[in-house]
Amino acid sequence: MADVNPYYLGAFVVYLLIVLAIGLWGYRKTSDVMDFWVMGQSMGPTLATWSLVANFVSAVSVIGFIGAVYGGGYSLMTGTILGLMLGVSGLYFVVGRVRQLNHLTLPDIIADLTGRQAARPIAGAVLLANGWLYLIMQLVGASLLVTTITGVPYEYMVWVIGVVFITYTVLGGLVSVAWTDLLQGTIMVAAVLFALGYMVLDLGGFTAINTEFAAMKSANVAPLGAGTYTVIGVVASVVAFFGTIFTEQNMIVRIAATKDVRTAKIHLAASGVILSVFYSALVVLGGATTVALGNAGLSIDNVDNAFPTLITEYVPTSIGVVIILAVMSAILSTTDTRLHSTGITTARDIYSYFRPNASDESQLRISRIATVLFGITATAAAVNPPDTIIGLYNLRAILLTSAFLIPVYTALYLSGINGLAVLASIVVGTVLGLAATFFGGGFGIPATFVGVGSAALVLLVGYYALPDQGSGPPREYAASDD
Amino acid sequence: MTMYGMPTTMFLVFVATILAGSLGAIHYTVVHVLLGKPVNENVRKTTTEPRATDGGHNDG
Repeated sequence: MADVNPYYLGAFVVYLLIVLAIGLWGYRKTSDVMDFWVMGQSMGPTLATWSLVANFVSAVSVIGFIGAVYGGGYSLMTGTILGLMLGVSGLYFVVGRVRQLNHLTLPDIIADLTGRQAARPIAGAVLLANGWLYLIMQLVGASLLVTTITGVPYEYMVWVIGVVFITYTVLGGLVSVAWTDLLQGTIMVAAVLFALGYMVLDLGGFTAINTEFAAMKSANVAPLGAGTYTVIGVVASVVAFFGTIFTEQNMIVRIAATKDVRTAKIHLAASGVILSVFYSALVVLGGATTVALGNAGLSIDNVDNAFPTLITEYVPTSIGVVIILAVMSAILSTTDTRLHSTGITTARDIYSYFRPNASDESQLRISRIATVLFGITATAAAVNPPDTIIGLYNLRAILLTSAFLIPVYTALYLSGINGLAVLASIVVGTVLGLAATFFGGGFGIPATFVGVGSAALVLLVGYYALPDQGSGPPREYAASDD
Repeated sequence: MTMYGMPTTMFLVFVATILAGSLGAIHYTVVHVLLGKPVNENVRKTTTEPRATDGGHNDG
């Protein structure tokens, strides 16, 4: 066992106590299932914006992206981050329509558009798979990081973190999640900008960082990594990550939680600005980390250890404490949101489909039970994870985009499309997208294109071959609000 | 040619990313703030009332 660092461990314990206290406070504010699921649909612009930002930035972002820049340079911007930012802005342009439909979950929207309630458990199963994978990678990232910097063994830390986030999420639902997000989001953005500022001063400015980064390897500052990536591979990556923004359950839940359409629009517009600046800063911080570790002669065996090594071996402890709080905020704020979403998916999309007359109280109970069960099983899986963080991240991006992007958003705007064609498109896109992933792409075509392309083809055939049976978007909401 | 120590093409990717994330804010500012067009708040009344669910029995 490594030496326990009392400063880092102390900061971590205080942090956990604060979020637990917010969870207890959230429990007192939660009186019914609508409070638990969508905060009584009363979320204002500030809370909604910071909650989205905090949820968006995860273990993959902070640890994985800095590691990716360490290993592959700034080309991460060209595919993944550009795709994510286009996705946030793209969702802004359809959020008016989504909020007006006033559904709590993505399967609710799909069932409405297709006129087929079977869409709810089918889409719910895909979303649960995504949510569970996301929980595992967050817990792995959080526990690896905290183990590295505090010295507490991984197998203990993964359970401590798991139990804390399950507890406060199950206590107050979205009330706890949103208010802890507000704290976590502001800490996270401020601390990463602070860390970048420290590194810029330490290394002599932006130009000096980039010049040294380029001198280490010219591919570090090439948009395509100087041949590492192909144009078609980058386009596939942009599509895959663009699609995840539209299709995640937690995004739909948050949109439903906003108090009106104006708030829904503002929170996506503001989040896009904050996130695009944040990620640009994070990528440059990755370059600065690489330069700093290189200058200090510190070697890294795994790129995911780049940022933890910067914290423990390079920066002073006082700076390190600030950074660790930022990283923990990024990780826990994403984890609680995904966990909360799995509870809603289970109760709202699956349980209430089979028990259509279930009371609000029983749905709330099922939601809380599912929250605990998914949390515990994900924690257990994270003790010995099935894949790397980045591997899980890419898998669920392809899964979500292949399943939902084309059928759901086509049906949202194209009235008269047959509901069966939409469902078939979801199923075929999911199966072929996953199959292409596991078999390493189809005939040299990226898995995302296989999934999205097959979903589009099925939808096109269904549109012309099947009669108009779908309800389409309700006519009274069909006009654009722009 | 370099900008802040990186090739211009790489610098433009950073600019494009920030612009991509800001498209919603630009639209909201121009359309709803500067031009004063109101946001359509025609939202369905409620989500808590019982939904017309078939329990899986008449999907076909």
